[in-house]
Amino acid sequence: MSDKSPLEADVAKLIVQTLNLKIDPMQIQPEQPLFREGLGLDSIDALELSLAISQSYGYQIRSDDPEAVATFASLRSLCKLIEKNRTK
Amino acid sequence: MNTVALLGPCHPDRALAWQNGHPITYRRFLSEVATLAAQLPEKPTVINLADDRYRFLVGLAAALVRGQTTLLPPSRAPRALVQIAREYRNSYCLADGQEAIEGLPTCHIPHCEWGAAPNAPNAEVPQIPVDHTAVVAFTSGSTGSPRPHRKTWGSLVAVARSTGARLGLTASHPMTVVATVPHQHMYGLETTIMLPIQHGMALYAGRPLFPQDVQSALTEVPSPRVLVTTPLHIRACVAACMPLPQVECILSATAPLPVSLAKRAETLFQSDVYEVYGFTEAGSVATRRTVAGETWHVLDGITLHQESGRCSLRAPYLPESISFPDLVSLRGPHRFVLHGRGADVVNIGGHRVSFSDLNQKLNEIDGVQDGVFFLPDETGSSVTRLIAFVVAPGNSAEHILSALRTVIDPVFLPRPLHVVPTLPRNETGKLTRDALLGLLRELHGQDRHGT
Repeated sequence: MSDKSPLEADVAKLIVQTLNLKIDPMQIQPEQPLFREGLGLDSIDALELSLAISQSYGYQIRSDDPEAVATFASLRSLCKLIEKNRTK
Repeated sequence: MNTVALLGPCHPDRALAWQNGHPITYRRFLSEVATLAAQLPEKPTVINLADDRYRFLVGLAAALVRGQTTLLPPSRAPRALVQIAREYRNSYCLADGQEAIEGLPTCHIPHCEWGAAPNAPNAEVPQIPVDHTAVVAFTSGSTGSPRPHRKTWGSLVAVARSTGARLGLTASHPMTVVATVPHQHMYGLETTIMLPIQHGMALYAGRPLFPQDVQSALTEVPSPRVLVTTPLHIRACVAACMPLPQVECILSATAPLPVSLAKRAETLFQSDVYEVYGFTEAGSVATRRTVAGETWHVLDGITLHQESGRCSLRAPYLPESISFPDLVSLRGPHRFVLHGRGADVVNIGGHRVSFSDLNQKLNEIDGVQDGVFFLPDETGSSVTRLIAFVVAPGNSAEHILSALRTVIDPVFLPRPLHVVPTLPRNETGKLTRDALLGLLRELHGQDRHGT
């Protein structure tokens, strides 16, 4: 069962495709940490993912944005920022 | 005693660093180094974990003034730090945040004051003995414990000077270095710490990650600027098509930069893109302008040799001749062409490690009976990650991964880790690449059939 919003479901797919993760996007829980203990992503992934997000949603992630500290905390927090800043 | 000054020619009231948009002058730096040096504990070795590049430099310089050696652990993985701490028991940790290493006392690098420090005393530039071991860098040894490589102050200065000469840096035309690479490994230390302080340059204290970060970091510092980075970040900036402020030159290292990417970067950023080739054992060795051809030109002072079938290099500041870890062919004593990695070496996003080290760490995990790391065929532009096959009855992949996470750098964590009943070892016990590729295909086939 998934309680994801449509955007969360799309971004989960984008994460799995971009990073070539061998998991089902449905398995990514909205509140699960993306880095370390969660999906185990690292800064190389963050960079790859930021590119895919800017190409799909026109949102350029930056780390000195005070809100962005939590950007990659979880799928949900990432999607909130995309929703707020997207241009496409 | 033969000494070389901590700083090259510089103006005391010029900026050495830019932190949050504020300049910190050379004069203030010297005063902060003197203050911190007086507070450091009486110990021979220090692990400097500072994230802020300027505060790292203050810690490094204070340790040099006190005759101490800074250890550069091969990774920030907790177990890797504890392992170094165990081997160098009489160490302490320098930190600019909450970092700490289990079992070591911590000394805090204070926040610095911004501005020109007009009242700071006209501190003398410290002289450091050339044969003092300034830092010890580590590579992952094949035995599982990190192998130390001592770097004398004289050797660090020599590499900084020869790199500066190659890039045409002069103290009368000081540039500011903005870097996306960490300062706690040799490439970062050489290009973002030693190069600036030996040429009266300035450094940006932060470490931008995303293209937007790189753009705002470059905007924050005055021109002329140097961007020290990696192919990964260059690719991200090119893909983002983001206009960058004028950059005099871009340095790239840690992984090969594709010529097509270098061309696009030169056009987009209106700047020459140079690659630096080096490895921990020797430091920076050679440079090339990627679009100008495949040949690498060694830094002044280095000579190349062919010895019993192996290519090696010598330099006046290296105690002995050092073999290349990669496959190279020589084009005379000062030029070479790079063909690829040595068989046991793997490089992921600029982090280099040996397969034997990774395999040993995997096989040391409780419950693992047999296990092997494996790099599938690389596919195009994105970073190819390692895969692991593990025989560990009764253990889940998650359990083994969480144990691995404490002992290896996260970039080497396998994606995915397959728990399998047996490994396809041949009659002599060897695992061939073909057999591993076959096992991978078998597993993928099962995935497709939904089992």
